[in-house]
Amino acid sequence: MKRKLYILMSLVVLASMILTACGGAAPATEAPAATEAPEQPAAPAATEEAPAKLKVVTITFPQEPDSLSPFYTGMWFSQITQPFWLRGLWRIDNQGNPVPDIAAEIPSEANGGLTDEGKTITVKLNPDAKWSDGEPLTADDFVFTYEMILSDKNAVSTRYPFDTKVESVTASDPHTLVIKLNEPFAPWLTSIFAGTNTSTPVVPKHILEPVFQKDGTLDNAEWNRAPTVSAGPFVFKEWESGSHLTFVRNDNWFGDKPKVDQIFFRFVPDNAAQMAAIKSGDSDIGVYLGFDELPDVESSGTAVVGTDQGGYVESWFFNFDPKRSHPAMQDVRVRKAIVLATDREKITQDLLHGKTAPVGTFWDATPPFGDPNLKPDPYDPDAAAKLLDEAGWTLGSDGIREKTIDGQVVKLKLRYITNSRDIRKNGVMPVVKQMWAKVGIDVELVNNANDVYFNDYANNGPLYGDFDIAEYSDAPSFPDPDVSHFRCSEIPTPDNPAGGNFQGYCNPELDKLFDQQTTTVNRDERIKIFYQIEKIMHDDVVWAGMWNDTDLWSVNKRLTGVVFSGATCFWNVTDWDIT
Amino acid sequence: MATAALPQTGDGAANLGRLTPGQLIWRRFRKHKMAMFGLLAWAGLLLYVTLGSWLFSRGLCAPLGKVVTGEAYANCNDTGLQLQAPSREHPFGTDLIGQDTLARTIYGGQISVTIGILAALMEVIVGTLVGAIAAYYGGWVDSLLMRFTEAMLNIPSLFLLIVTAKFLGGKVPEIHLLGRTLSGSVIVIIVIIGLTSWMYLARIVRANILSLKELDYISASRALGVSDARIIFRHLLPNTIAPIIVSATLGVANAILSEAYVSFLGLGVQPPTASWGNMLENSYNYLERAPWLWIFPGFFILITVLSVNFVGDGLRDALDPRSTRQI
Amino acid sequence: MVNYIVRRIAQAIPQLFVISLVLFALMQSFGDPLATMGARLPPRPEDQARLRRQLGLDQPVIVQYAVWLIGNDWMKIDKDGDGIPETSGTRKGVLRGDWGTSLVTKTPAIKVIAERIPNTLLLMVPSEIIIIIVSLLIGVYSAIRQYSLFDNVITAASFVGFSMPVFWLALMLMYTFSVNFKRWGLPYLPTIGMFDPQVGKTPQQIVLHMILPVTTLCIISTAAYSRYVRSSMLEVLSQDYIRTARAKGVRYTGIILRHALKNASLPFVTLIGLDIPFLLAGAVVTESIFAWPGTGRLFVDHTARADFPVLMGILMMIAVAVVVFQILTDVLYSFLDPRIRIE
Repeated sequence: MKRKLYILMSLVVLASMILTACGGAAPATEAPAATEAPEQPAAPAATEEAPAKLKVVTITFPQEPDSLSPFYTGMWFSQITQPFWLRGLWRIDNQGNPVPDIAAEIPSEANGGLTDEGKTITVKLNPDAKWSDGEPLTADDFVFTYEMILSDKNAVSTRYPFDTKVESVTASDPHTLVIKLNEPFAPWLTSIFAGTNTSTPVVPKHILEPVFQKDGTLDNAEWNRAPTVSAGPFVFKEWESGSHLTFVRNDNWFGDKPKVDQIFFRFVPDNAAQMAAIKSGDSDIGVYLGFDELPDVESSGTAVVGTDQGGYVESWFFNFDPKRSHPAMQDVRVRKAIVLATDREKITQDLLHGKTAPVGTFWDATPPFGDPNLKPDPYDPDAAAKLLDEAGWTLGSDGIREKTIDGQVVKLKLRYITNSRDIRKNGVMPVVKQMWAKVGIDVELVNNANDVYFNDYANNGPLYGDFDIAEYSDAPSFPDPDVSHFRCSEIPTPDNPAGGNFQGYCNPELDKLFDQQTTTVNRDERIKIFYQIEKIMHDDVVWAGMWNDTDLWSVNKRLTGVVFSGATCFWNVTDWDIT
Repeated sequence: MATAALPQTGDGAANLGRLTPGQLIWRRFRKHKMAMFGLLAWAGLLLYVTLGSWLFSRGLCAPLGKVVTGEAYANCNDTGLQLQAPSREHPFGTDLIGQDTLARTIYGGQISVTIGILAALMEVIVGTLVGAIAAYYGGWVDSLLMRFTEAMLNIPSLFLLIVTAKFLGGKVPEIHLLGRTLSGSVIVIIVIIGLTSWMYLARIVRANILSLKELDYISASRALGVSDARIIFRHLLPNTIAPIIVSATLGVANAILSEAYVSFLGLGVQPPTASWGNMLENSYNYLERAPWLWIFPGFFILITVLSVNFVGDGLRDALDPRSTRQI
Repeated sequence: MVNYIVRRIAQAIPQLFVISLVLFALMQSFGDPLATMGARLPPRPEDQARLRRQLGLDQPVIVQYAVWLIGNDWMKIDKDGDGIPETSGTRKGVLRGDWGTSLVTKTPAIKVIAERIPNTLLLMVPSEIIIIIVSLLIGVYSAIRQYSLFDNVITAASFVGFSMPVFWLALMLMYTFSVNFKRWGLPYLPTIGMFDPQVGKTPQQIVLHMILPVTTLCIISTAAYSRYVRSSMLEVLSQDYIRTARAKGVRYTGIILRHALKNASLPFVTLIGLDIPFLLAGAVVTESIFAWPGTGRLFVDHTARADFPVLMGILMMIAVAVVVFQILTDVLYSFLDPRIRIE
């Protein structure tokens, strides 16, 4: 009796395990994600024995997009997919020039597109523009996009620049879009409905308006995860979380026609897995590589390295707030000494394999706004030591400098914070620590994961707390040089917690120049203003440039025609072909 | 054992020719070949991470322009020498920034072993106290503590480690100990591993004490008015020492592995303090190009954990009166 | 019996509440889900402040916990930032089945987790079955042939097996059988993922991609469990009644199968029973290395983005499963072992 019960119980346990295994195996062939597009349900099996081999480009992504909707993501990994399936008015090529997509031509003063001192932009849309389901793409879609961004019912990731710079967006006729600005806004080309990494293109009104009216918000729209209706040479097919994202050729696309059939994004968990895929030829395009991985790619024999300037520069920001920083930081000589004591050349030569170089201005990666005559200060530890002595910091018996302030001996020990990326944590930080030790500066190294590091003022993020030097890879609103965390008015206070000037730097002269450049639409004049900005920032040692953080890619040798652009990375996807 | 002439000495009690419990245990342990190997390996390892620093961690540090020893040598980085294969100057090769891997396995070993021992100690203290108090007082105290224990067991241990590591990460400042400057993350790791692995021991101790509690001499002590603490610490715990010792030993192995996992996920010991775990984390991108970066720390972790496990197994056999080994 | 089960469930419920409260509070100091929104740069402070308000993250912890538990559709929230609550909330709370929206994907947390569970089970269940079978075989054989060459070799190998960090083993396997085999022209296994995109998601592809991760998991767990089975068997084999049976001339294999195994595997069954709920948690490190889209990897990835609706969902799902299986195992054990009586 007991034995039978025992057998029965064991069988129950075993059976339940087998059942869960079966339950787990079944969905494998039918993609459990509810995001699969209704078309081609037999696709997974069909492609296995497809008569003509499909041309599929596999792109490995070390991070999975959180959402495909331009409203609900700030992720670079999501935005760079847009040139495939969601074009905007225009995109930016590798020379920095705009290429029209939905717009028929680029508005300018010459063709009457820019009027009223640049405060009114009139865009003529291509009358053939269509969504992937055949519905015409009109100016009403753009107006709808604008309204949705500003609606309080949508928790969109950013309202820039519509909340502060744009006065109105209207459709004077189905193919003419009129944008009125509050004041001349130099970055308009790359931030309003453009197909760049920093701009929202357009969303389909005929699909999303009914959703908005029914749910009261677009936050939970199915389209955010399965944008089956879109506007680009490819169209969404399926997205299986944790695994892959597929786009197939869009036959309804009025613009440039692609040579390949499918784009397959495969999510890999980390760089090592991506490198394994690159080396074995499983990855056609490797994304967001690190400088230390380049030798591996070059020696792989299966892929070559591609680069582009995305505006990112690895930056050091100095803390000017006396309440949150070491007293030595208030002295420009100490800041200068810190920069001179760091052999930036050696760091880029050795750690980054000479694939990049130190930069002299914040805008060296945003051509042509970086002053070519402002070169990075060369390594000079002796000059650094002299400056420190001049500033009153003398070498103590333990090799660390000290100074007597208010009767107390204060050691020159600084707090250096960065966010996570191996090359900083394990490479740059210990190397810099040793370099500074040579001139008598001691340092505490602190490293935080991104979601802790970029915590804002209201949440006591590290950038708003105690630090002396903060390092991370920063960029202006590339390809536009506009940046917003150097003004006095941007210093966060309890009344203004939304300030982004975590350095606490306040220079009225610099403020004036920044305000001027936003409204200077003439490019050459704007460049001159930036040269002045850069000089002030250099003389006052507000910022120091570690290296030009170029975007790094790997391209499989079998894939031809790939050219990367900083603002629209995959801008020429229709030129790609597989040999 | 019994000899012809029993020594007749004044104090009488000692020297009856019988072995003390300690000696008996040692004898049984000695017969366990693997345990003896483990003990020797463990001793060798301890020598390596302590005296080894004096022998191996010295050399020219080019950027500083002088010969340095000790931790300074382990942290001496020279990017010109990065990722070199094992050679005479650097028998275990160099890492990403030119630090000597051999010296770092020594200093990293100090950290990993320390973390292992202290975390195990913490685990033993917490687990024993919880188990003993729950068993001794019974009633609602027992209920509460056991529910709490079960609650902690309900969460997968790696998840718990990740959550607590993120919670405490970066909040502890640098510490200076015995001439070394350590990142605060070392303390954090010890605390979180200690706080997330005591539950099994608590249950075992509780089970043992529950049965011991009913013995006559315990009841007698209570009747005589002996304080609770004294009963627990002088009478009950010493009799349940066997599983505690075994648990402590295996806890060291578990702690060293946990540290490796957490560091591998990036939440463990932060640079520039070396530990075997974060040496493996750093080596991840160089698996093929610089295999010496993961072979050596991985090997040390393996040997350490292996030898501790052997010793623990031997102790378990030696301390367990119902052991199946034939003596 | 029923009394016992009801009592256990009644005890478990406040336990689950406390776990959820403690975990929720811990997660608040993780990091800010809005701090990067996954991007390379932090969002504009104006956007960050607005999103914090729109997503209800500016409320005190206890309010957020209450909303998580019982929802906010019975009260009004302030969506437009003027300080006056005017919109009805839309969340129903966990107690009514709404696990909230993932702060990363903006889809229901349940959906995010449910998508991954089949993948995890696909890896864990076959592993568990293989582990059970192989551990039993090795453990029993080692016990019967104690001190033989087989036993000693297996014992040493087992120790090495469970002393090894799992990622070390995983990487070694991957580099040997995937990268290096391919380089040497031998038939090789795929590196990462669940299937090859050129071929499609077929069962053959999935099985092929499962081989390495399953092997990794099996080696380490089998090493540990086989030791346990072996020591259990040894303990039972040394019992008097076994010796009596042998003395009476009963065949050895008969003894093993009828008496020893049955009694030795009782604690083993308990162990497996307690292991089952943790199968849902997946194997964090293995899934990460092999890019297997399971719940373990989901947990790590979303921890980095401080996505606590999903993290809480995973943790509570496992906690509930553990409670259920603990009760089941206890009941099962009491049926199987007459010496245990449920009071």
